[in-house]
Amino acid sequence: MSPDPLKTERAGSALQTYTLTCAACATTTMLATPLYAYLDSANIVMLFLLTVLGVAVKLGRNAAVLASLLSVLCFDIFFVPPRFSLAVSDIQYVVTFFVMLVTALTTTHFTSVLRQRAQEALRREQQTQALYLLAKQLAGVLQLEQVVEISASFIRTQLVAQAVVLLPDEGRHTLSPVPFGAPLPVEMHLARVAFDSGRFVRSDEVMGMGLAAFYFPLKAPMRMRGVLAVAFPAEAEAPGDATLSLLEALSSLIAVALERLHYVEVAQATEVRMLTERLRSSILSALSHDLRTPLTAMVGLADSLFLVKPTLAPAALETAQALHEQADRLASLVGNLLDMARLNAGEVRLRREWQLLEEVVGASLKLLGGALSKHRIRVILPPDLPLLEFDAVLIERVLCNLLENAAKYAPEGSTIELRAAVRDGHVDVAVLDEGPGFPMLRKAELFNMFVRGEAVSGKPGTGLGLAICKAIIEAHGGEIDVENRPEGGARVYFRLPLGVPPSIEEELP
Amino acid sequence: MSAPAKVLLIEDEKQIRRFVRVAVEEEGCQVIEAETLARGLIEAGTRQPDLLILDLGLPDGNGIDLIRELRTWSDVPILILSARTQEDDKIEALDAGADDYLTKPFGVGELRARVRAVLRRRSRSPDSASPRIEFGSVVVDLSLRSVQRRGENMHLTPIEYRLLSVLISHPGKVMTQRHLLREVWGPSHVDRSHYLRVYVGHLRQKLEDDPTQPQHFLTETGVGYRFQP
Repeated sequence: MSPDPLKTERAGSALQTYTLTCAACATTTMLATPLYAYLDSANIVMLFLLTVLGVAVKLGRNAAVLASLLSVLCFDIFFVPPRFSLAVSDIQYVVTFFVMLVTALTTTHFTSVLRQRAQEALRREQQTQALYLLAKQLAGVLQLEQVVEISASFIRTQLVAQAVVLLPDEGRHTLSPVPFGAPLPVEMHLARVAFDSGRFVRSDEVMGMGLAAFYFPLKAPMRMRGVLAVAFPAEAEAPGDATLSLLEALSSLIAVALERLHYVEVAQATEVRMLTERLRSSILSALSHDLRTPLTAMVGLADSLFLVKPTLAPAALETAQALHEQADRLASLVGNLLDMARLNAGEVRLRREWQLLEEVVGASLKLLGGALSKHRIRVILPPDLPLLEFDAVLIERVLCNLLENAAKYAPEGSTIELRAAVRDGHVDVAVLDEGPGFPMLRKAELFNMFVRGEAVSGKPGTGLGLAICKAIIEAHGGEIDVENRPEGGARVYFRLPLGVPPSIEEELP
Repeated sequence: MSAPAKVLLIEDEKQIRRFVRVAVEEEGCQVIEAETLARGLIEAGTRQPDLLILDLGLPDGNGIDLIRELRTWSDVPILILSARTQEDDKIEALDAGADDYLTKPFGVGELRARVRAVLRRRSRSPDSASPRIEFGSVVVDLSLRSVQRRGENMHLTPIEYRLLSVLISHPGKVMTQRHLLREVWGPSHVDRSHYLRVYVGHLRQKLEDDPTQPQHFLTETGVGYRFQP
């Protein structure tokens, strides 16, 4: 039972209702007076009862009670002898009055109950209609603000109350109201309780303070989406069960709408990311193909000059060799740039597999081949080194870059050492040389792109090597750093997490 | 001297075709050129080449499909030209039946060495049914299941021996991890690449002079292994 809005309405027009009631009784009296001569008094009573019935149907219980009393009074004064006085000559009329009053009041009671039921049914139907309309509107909504606006205006028009929707932030730590219309002060603590517990919370104490007193959790199938806070006007009666269950239904509609919006957003973001990724990788692969094809032709064509018959002059062959080398350098620069672009995009797919470090070291040394021929290479790996999980192609690249760097800067004939050691949950891999070492003043910049150890250097290089190493190692969850050895020379080392290698079933002998 | 070997070159880039032709002709081969996959397939059928050099990045289709198609009726050696970033394509092509690959850009020297190696294997393979295989200081006798290094018998476990026999039966050919795992451990083990690494490590320990810088059991990083006699 929640007749509050209607009651308010009725209170406003009470005076009008009572005036109408009085007028109805007066009219009946006036109509009956000329008929007095022709009608039996019992029939005049009937006229008054008809009036009471009419009033009960049209104007409600209170008016009908008044009409009952007025009717008895009018009947007594105007139609019971002695007329125009309250006095009654025949005592029989007391029975008439009594029966008339009881009949009138009983009619009033039943009529008004019926009327109330009819009104309630009508109101329910209206609310159901409105809720249905709301559901339809919410189903088509594409923006958060619209959800809030539609729900708030539903509550305003259907329940004459104010509402605000509170949504959690990314981390679901705090709730904040979605700005819409007049701000409604809320008790955050109560909202939090509703959000965390998933239960409806009400507090009649805060209602007097002008704060929202009702907090409905917005519980969607997947998770809690927020809180709906509702405040009824202070002068209104407390809302009944019907109103609260309507609000609960509304809350679940809002929750579902919010969840739907969330997934729409997720789907859109995924699509945008996919498109961006596809675009980027297609640009990179097109670029890589378009640059590599002419470079391949240049390297090969330069080489093929050596096969020309009759053999070209030594100067021409020297030029051919230089062409080959320059094209090679260009190719490695392009390779580095494309790698860096891929790594920088942050979405290098690591093909992590459990590897033997020894094997990747061996492959790197073989790959470098001639580049290391002028140095002594010493590899010191612990014999019990466990399997490590990494992308072999990328780690091979790191090792090649570090070894190549060492060979480039350390004097010919010196020793380049590659060592690995296991240390508290990590494996440290270091490349040590006997060169001039790194300029430690600019250590922080060494791993930046296009920064080279020596500012003015005759050595070929692009300054991308260490930056690529850093990006690769960090993608593996490791770290890389450089230092100068106390005995002279540089030490570049990287550290990879050990992980838990998979077991290998022992072979049956 | 027998008739020169025929090499079919399928490559869309004219300048690359030009220098590859010069390099391959220097090896005493006759070169047939094709610009597209469709043309290449026809030439492969009609000219019966002894070697196929195939660029994986052709505009008119997927070179891997050509390899699969070709492998249904021919075992001609296939050498792939690919970019470094096409690791997956490379593996797929090798799994489909390609023999070896060259990464762009490559020099003429490298190309000639590969062509020579493939052709040498081809000329030798029909009559080299000998069960005795020698490499470095190692002698393997497949009929006796014996492995000797510097005249001493080496003990290999059954899996080590199986891996060794798969590797040495395809000298020079790049074998993918997947292929080796399937051949040696069976189809249920194709995802356990660490088994392969550990056992190749064992072979190197037992048969290489310097296991850290192997000369015979070579790693093709990210792809697989190659046995180099």
